[in-house]
Amino acid sequence: MTDKTPAAGGPVADLSTAPLPTEDTLRKRRSIPLQLARFAAYNARIMRMVIKGH
Amino acid sequence: MADVVILGAGISGHTAALHLRRKLGRGSEHTVTVVSPNSKWNWIPSNIWVGVGKMGKPDVVFPLEPVYRKKGIGFRQAKAVALWPEGDADDPRGAVDVEYTGQGRAGTTERIRYDYLVNATGPKLRFEATPGLGPDGHSLSVCTADHATEAARSLTETIERLRAGEEQTLVVGMGHGTCTCEGAAFEYVFNVDHELREAGVRDRARLVYLTNEERLGDFGVDGMTFEEQGFQTSSEMWTASLFRERGVEAILGAHVTKVEEGVVHYETLDGEFHALAFDFAMLLPPFGGVGLAAYDAEGGDITDRLFAPSGFMKVDADYTAKPYEEWRAQDWPETYQTPGYDNIFAVGIAFAPPHQISRPRTSANGTPIAPAPPRTGMPSGVMGKTAAMTIYDRIKHGAHAEAHRASMAHMGAACVASAGADLRTGSAAAMTMMPVVPDYARYPTGRDLAATRGEIGLSGHWVKLMLHHLFLHKAKARLGWQFIPE
Ligand SMILES: Cc1cc2nc3c(=O)[nH]c(=O)nc-3n(C[C@H](O)[C@H](O)[C@H](O)COP(=O)(O)OP(=O)(O)OC[C@H]3O[C@@H](n4cnc5c(N)ncnc54)[C@H](O)[C@@H]3O)c2cc1C
Repeated sequence: MTDKTPAAGGPVADLSTAPLPTEDTLRKRRSIPLQLARFAAYNARIMRMVIKGH
Repeated sequence: MADVVILGAGISGHTAALHLRRKLGRGSEHTVTVVSPNSKWNWIPSNIWVGVGKMGKPDVVFPLEPVYRKKGIGFRQAKAVALWPEGDADDPRGAVDVEYTGQGRAGTTERIRYDYLVNATGPKLRFEATPGLGPDGHSLSVCTADHATEAARSLTETIERLRAGEEQTLVVGMGHGTCTCEGAAFEYVFNVDHELREAGVRDRARLVYLTNEERLGDFGVDGMTFEEQGFQTSSEMWTASLFRERGVEAILGAHVTKVEEGVVHYETLDGEFHALAFDFAMLLPPFGGVGLAAYDAEGGDITDRLFAPSGFMKVDADYTAKPYEEWRAQDWPETYQTPGYDNIFAVGIAFAPPHQISRPRTSANGTPIAPAPPRTGMPSGVMGKTAAMTIYDRIKHGAHAEAHRASMAHMGAACVASAGADLRTGSAAAMTMMPVVPDYARYPTGRDLAATRGEIGLSGHWVKLMLHHLFLHKAKARLGWQFIPE
């Protein structure tokens, strides 16, 4: 049966309990020195996948 | 002398052609010929950026012919239509019928003989599976660079209406209950959110992620377990957190039944039917095989022997039907060789998977609603190279040389949703998983926790940009291309 109120659009998942990042986390996501370290870690992880999986 | 024919010039076929030519040597007597209907190569992951106007089509495509000329690879701008794996009445060698789409021969056909064949034809975009779906219907796509260009145009118009004070609903997701490529829709919704914020109109926009996944973070791989700060968390929590933070609404376990002008109709796992009005909708199509036929030497139809009903080509997978609880990593193919023909391989999206990776589900009305298994870029490239190495060994050392192996139960994958044009202000949500197909016999959570991670931050944006430039460099076969991993 079609929902009579299309704009509402039916069941939307309840995300109200999903954790929200703290100010500190948001700052870290933008911090250039920290993200440079994450960039290196990410590339190391990809290289590990390449070596183990190819 | 051996003739190798590769069908398809996407990630897997192009990788196979370049490596095979490199190994065989440019001046060798052996031929490598690529058959593909499109004259251009497309770095498909960057279509996401084209779809929000951050890049143009010329940034993500380049002509194939000059690369193949430089490397000594033959190129037929044509689409394969039929295989003759046992040859025909004139010649016992295998052959493939192709129909030209360019090179001044559009519409003409040719039968090309081969000693080895690689089927890397990728997906057929099956918009027709859902009435009204796709650019010829009422929704948009980012699967090709042209589709993405159209999506960007429509997004700009939507943003203009938001600027003018109107409220708008934007829907991004999957256009059918059996779609794959949830990662691409996730990337796109992340980018659309970013664009709306940049334009200062996010508060007037309702952004909805409509998906066939039963829970967020499934991504067609049955979700992932992450390890963070001494705890095991899930890709579900990671994705839900990101959506909550960005105000993206999620509709889960949905099978789109039809798309009308401004309205998407869908069924949910509980068997209820719903409709959602939209002003902008980017909904991906389900994938199928490109629909090649196959004949024996007498012209008898043997399509069923080589291809699954989905149109994907059968390979060395275990296709025995069994329940989810009995699925094993070993069900997945390793050599990509077609049963009964050790000179035919199917790689990338073209091979028939043994089953899904996500738990199969049906709605209360019996409609299947479950993601099909993704075959992402890294595994597709590795499979192409693996087939090329097997063919090289067989040409050099005889037809009985051992096949090289690369299972998706050993390979990893990366999915980076990255937004923004600027190195300092972009943002990204990046995932890596290893292996793609979980192996509970090797890892308690199915995957290697040291390599399976979700991260949010600027660094993912740099990774995505780096991959864009590296893979275009590699595909253009520029200096050192062979050292860039698949
Ligand atoms: C929008 C989008 C974003 C994505 N983002 C990512 C990502 O971030 N990371 C990732 O790992 N993966 C991503 N993917 C998935 C990735 O693009 C695929 O895994 C990859 O393209 C599969 O490679 P393939 O060679 O099998 O197929 P394709 O790359 O699709 O190539 C198929 C080739 O076959 C040709 N062909 C078609 N029909 C015929 C025929 N009859 N005869 C001969 N040739 C034919 C086509 O023209 C094409 O050249 C994304 C996909 C999409 C749609």
